[in-house]
Amino acid sequence: MTTETAPRSGEPRPAPKGTHRSTDDPNVLLQDDYDFYEPIPPYTPRTEREAEFYTLGDGEMFLNMGPQHPSTHGVLRVVLKLDGERVVDIDPVLGYLHRGVEKLVENADYHQTISQVDPLEYISSLFCEWAPVTAYERLLDVEVPRRAEYIRVLSGELNRIASHALFLGWFALDLGGLTPILWSFIERDEIVEMLAALTGQRMLFNYFRIGGVNGDLNHEFMSRLGDWMSRAVGQIEAGMGLLNENEIFVRRAAGLGVIDTEMALRYCMTGPNLRATGVPFDLRRTHPYSIYPELEFDIPTRTEGDCLARYLLRMEEIKQSIRIIDQCLDKMPDGPIMAKLPRLIRPRPGRAWSGVEGPRGVYGAYAISDGTDQPFRLKIHDPSFIHLQAVGALLPGCLLADCMAVMASLDPIMGGVDK
Amino acid sequence: MTETKKPWAPTPAEVAAKAATSSALIVPGSTAVTEPIVLRNDLWNPADPNAYSGGQPAAITHLAEFDASGAGRHDDARWSGLLEIIPTKADYVLDLLRANSLWPLLSGLACCAIEMMSFATSKNDIDRWGAFPFRASPRQADVLIVAGTLTTKMAGPLLRLWEQMPEPKWCVAMGDCTCSGGRYKRSYATVEGIDRIMPVDVYVPGCPPRPEGLIFGMMKLQQLIKDRRGHWPERAIGPTVPAGV
Repeated sequence: MTTETAPRSGEPRPAPKGTHRSTDDPNVLLQDDYDFYEPIPPYTPRTEREAEFYTLGDGEMFLNMGPQHPSTHGVLRVVLKLDGERVVDIDPVLGYLHRGVEKLVENADYHQTISQVDPLEYISSLFCEWAPVTAYERLLDVEVPRRAEYIRVLSGELNRIASHALFLGWFALDLGGLTPILWSFIERDEIVEMLAALTGQRMLFNYFRIGGVNGDLNHEFMSRLGDWMSRAVGQIEAGMGLLNENEIFVRRAAGLGVIDTEMALRYCMTGPNLRATGVPFDLRRTHPYSIYPELEFDIPTRTEGDCLARYLLRMEEIKQSIRIIDQCLDKMPDGPIMAKLPRLIRPRPGRAWSGVEGPRGVYGAYAISDGTDQPFRLKIHDPSFIHLQAVGALLPGCLLADCMAVMASLDPIMGGVDK
Repeated sequence: MTETKKPWAPTPAEVAAKAATSSALIVPGSTAVTEPIVLRNDLWNPADPNAYSGGQPAAITHLAEFDASGAGRHDDARWSGLLEIIPTKADYVLDLLRANSLWPLLSGLACCAIEMMSFATSKNDIDRWGAFPFRASPRQADVLIVAGTLTTKMAGPLLRLWEQMPEPKWCVAMGDCTCSGGRYKRSYATVEGIDRIMPVDVYVPGCPPRPEGLIFGMMKLQQLIKDRRGHWPERAIGPTVPAGV
């Protein structure tokens, strides 16, 4: 065919039907009825707040950060209004990772919903499962075997350590330190590998079941866990030593993004971000669930409420989690890991709330049953979304370079924010 | 001044007699070496034909055909012109360079991004085959690893990233969500597979795939670059599934 030899002639071969060649690059074929370079129409503000924000003052400029930005920990878009290097105002744009989980859950079996809520906060998936599963158990009024509860706590605390280890790496990365993330991913990879031996998956475990857990402890998990526990504290402290004694890191993080107690309570913050302001609120103690009343651990608090305090508090929590794991292994009872339940679950009509203390705060699930085998509604309360609201109050007045540090210290996960 | 007869010089008759009996290529005393050596210009054509050959058409055939075909004049980033006579090893070497220094774009969308980071850090060190420097700017990146669920709201910005990347570029779909929709296939907010909006070279299924899976995918991509070289400009962008399905 003549068209096959056409590229040799120097002219690009005629574009296939329905396409045309890009004017920028003749090697790129574009669809005729599709234009990538449509000019963006001028944005007309819809509210007074938008009109105020999108009006530039003297010497001010806009800077668009995201949705593809390495420091936003996902696909968050923040429009910054800058005066020099000082942030004047911000306009966050959410929804780039909205996957419609709550709607999917309404059309799924009770068992299937566990896999749907799994990827919400994808670095602490077990807690995303834990809250709905306990809510369903309250709807069904079923008692979970003690061994299953111990396994839940054991795997959950491991997941908490993995999440906090990632926080260490990311927080340092956003402050300009490249090394700690290499160290924290060693820990994280070891933990998720042992959880993979237990659950079969590295990240989205899909492990908790209504009335128990999916599988019992096995040899590979126990040997990996014992191997890791023998050097866990030393490894974590080695990673922390990179940062705690780094004067640049400490002086940048101290006094940055201060949240006081009143503000934290007004924003309904939970978890480490609240405890770093001095409030010892931990759902494991205040509203005990599972087997936490039987375990000994401290609730570390700090009073500064700045980025450094939030970082140090999470590192303290890692040590408490290791303590909890130690006790779980010591007290692990024998017995079944699943309650006796029918395959097809039809809870009686009603509603149930359940909250668990995750690495970022309270994960909650509010389940409404209408008597069928599918939940009528599952409202997911996610701490990331709550905490991300605080950037609107924290960022104005910050330097541009400190924005990432403040956002990272709140540790939001965009999967949980956008659901 | 008349030429004096040198007593040691042979006479023409002696030269002829010696040439008849000698096996040397150049006979001493002959005038063959003093004539200029003229080689035909087979190698190039002057830009102005009147400049060197005095308006005479060059007596070449195969190069004239080559020149008339225009292949030597088309200009792009690849080897062109007479260098194409140099065996295709040049392209092969370029592809080796491309395949062994893949710079991915630092763009994570969701869960798979964590495994992509694990793929880049200590344990699964992709620096071992030169794929490490994750570039935050699409203008410096070769590979777009789409890691995570692509929602309809994010589809536009992702496409913009892809358009901003310079050719040659490749796309790796990481995870079930980007391959086919995965566990969010039935959602109202997601794109059921990124091949509806952009070309994909390697699909890495899994939810999420292990870092080893992504390593295998990147090795497949390297093989693909070496095997399918030159085919990348001709890929069409657009839905692979007809509208309405």
